[in-house]
Amino acid sequence: MTFEAAAGQALSGISVGMVLFLIAVGLSIIFGTLKVLNLAHGSIYMVGGFLCFGFTSALAQVPGAFWWTLILAPVVVALLGGVIEILLLRRIYSQDVLYQYILTFGLILMLGETCKFIWGVGYHTVSAPWPVNGKIPIWGLSFPVYNLFLIGCGIAVFLGLLALMRYTGLGRMIRAVTFNREMANALGINVPRVYTGVFMLGCWLAGLAGTLMPPMSVVALGSDMAVIIECFIIVVIGGLGSLPGAFLGAIILGLLTAFGIYIIPKLAVAFAFLLMIVVLVIRPWGLMGKPE
Amino acid sequence: MKGLARAFHSHRLALRLALLVLLLILPFILKESWVSLANEMLIMALAGCALNIMLGYTGMVSFGPAGLYAVGAYATAILLTRYHSSFIIALIGAPILAGIAGVIVGWFCVRRSATYFALLTLAFSQIIWTIIFEWYDFTGGDNGIVSIPIPEFFFTISHCYYFTLAVVGACVLLLWTIIQSPFGKTLQAIRENPGRTEFIAIPLKRYQLAAFVLSSVFLGVAGSLYCVFSGSVFPDYAHWVKSTDMLVICLLGGFYNFTGPIVGSFVYILLSKIIAKQTMFWMFFLGAIIVFLVLFMRNGIVGFLADKFSPVTDPAPGSGKDGGGR
Repeated sequence: MTFEAAAGQALSGISVGMVLFLIAVGLSIIFGTLKVLNLAHGSIYMVGGFLCFGFTSALAQVPGAFWWTLILAPVVVALLGGVIEILLLRRIYSQDVLYQYILTFGLILMLGETCKFIWGVGYHTVSAPWPVNGKIPIWGLSFPVYNLFLIGCGIAVFLGLLALMRYTGLGRMIRAVTFNREMANALGINVPRVYTGVFMLGCWLAGLAGTLMPPMSVVALGSDMAVIIECFIIVVIGGLGSLPGAFLGAIILGLLTAFGIYIIPKLAVAFAFLLMIVVLVIRPWGLMGKPE
Repeated sequence: MKGLARAFHSHRLALRLALLVLLLILPFILKESWVSLANEMLIMALAGCALNIMLGYTGMVSFGPAGLYAVGAYATAILLTRYHSSFIIALIGAPILAGIAGVIVGWFCVRRSATYFALLTLAFSQIIWTIIFEWYDFTGGDNGIVSIPIPEFFFTISHCYYFTLAVVGACVLLLWTIIQSPFGKTLQAIRENPGRTEFIAIPLKRYQLAAFVLSSVFLGVAGSLYCVFSGSVFPDYAHWVKSTDMLVICLLGGFYNFTGPIVGSFVYILLSKIIAKQTMFWMFFLGAIIVFLVLFMRNGIVGFLADKFSPVTDPAPGSGKDGGGR
């Protein structure tokens, strides 16, 4: 492998990893606070992707359609998440976790079929918008600008979330509820509202990822399950509920897949699974997680 | 309702015999297409019961039963087509190979509890699906394996039905015996309280692994039966949609009853045939049914009926004064 090819693969790996980070971190904070494993998180990402296609084609005449979409689509997805939390999830917090898994499993089917009903079974594409289209030369190599843009978005969200959790009142509230729900409730924090807020935040992140991804790949049915499996691998490697863990896991998975495709195209995903197994054997609680 | 319940209870044995007779004469009174539907129901009932060993009795939520089911189906298919082994060996090989796969997958999965366990089972079943899908030379990839040399005896649907009935019946009885054994009671103790079970010196992980392998073996039998029934295997058997089918069967019937998955399989397959005929978006309704069940009918059909009939059919501990008079 030449240096140029390796650098190209590394860049595309990291940029895909950044999108995966956005999804995995949503899954991770929802689990951390609500103690709900949202299996439909991949479907929420997919809805974001379809909305991206829907909005960009509806706004095709408007200048900067993609940028408007980038603002609108994640918000719509977050609202959808809010509805799901209030109408469905809220009713089963007190029940056995088994029912949460199965309920969100049911949502995968409903969201997938709804997308199929509205947008059909075909592939849709969205082109990268100005000014992040085209390529840029760095050290004599040319890189797609959009990949760099994705990496920038990923790092910005990571730092933003860290700052949110550490320095703001909202972040303190979320941490308090995560740490001890009853005590937080006794101290006057509106726990149900924090739950709804965190769930919507997680969905907003998935929607953002869904909106950012289409220019790099395609919008299609079935991406929900592919993505949720990758997120599972990320959170198992990084540790569920850990922000830096999701970041690290996503970069590792992105790089591994990018170079894996270079070596054995068909079984690239096997490398990720192998790494997951190794992590499970050596450090069952994940690289950045805490032992149970 | 009470009178009906009492009548139901006092004629329990008679009802069971009637059901058995009905199952035996089914091929004579129904059209062929319905017999093959009944065949499918029996196979899924076995798969559901096998999954329920983990789900309902040990409290381990597995999202990947289809992977092990597919191992069973592909084991029979590959033994017959590639190695030209005898039918009996192909049939016995399926649960053995599914059991071995279960040991490997289960060993990793039981290292983590609850949430991670669920994640890992789903991930591993996707690995199995990927292997089947990509390994063209061995598994036929997405073309599957068709025209498997099944003995001609099974080409007649009623023969196939009786064979399935015999195997499923034997397996279900065996599972029932295992559930009633001290081993089965230990599994239920783990479900109720893993911490306390460990305190009385029961090796938790080992029992969970045993439940996983047991479940895998019977899932393998179900897969193998389906291979014999349909004469072909496809990667779809390992797909997560198939796992959903099995989960819904258990949920629909009720987790905490042995007969739950059997009733669930009957209702689910009948329902899916009826709804799928009406609409392209059958999966949407399936999702809606799941959500409805979780929100309003958590114990499934059998659990719901058992509640209605509760003092008579299934006296709960401590309610002896209600049930004592019978």
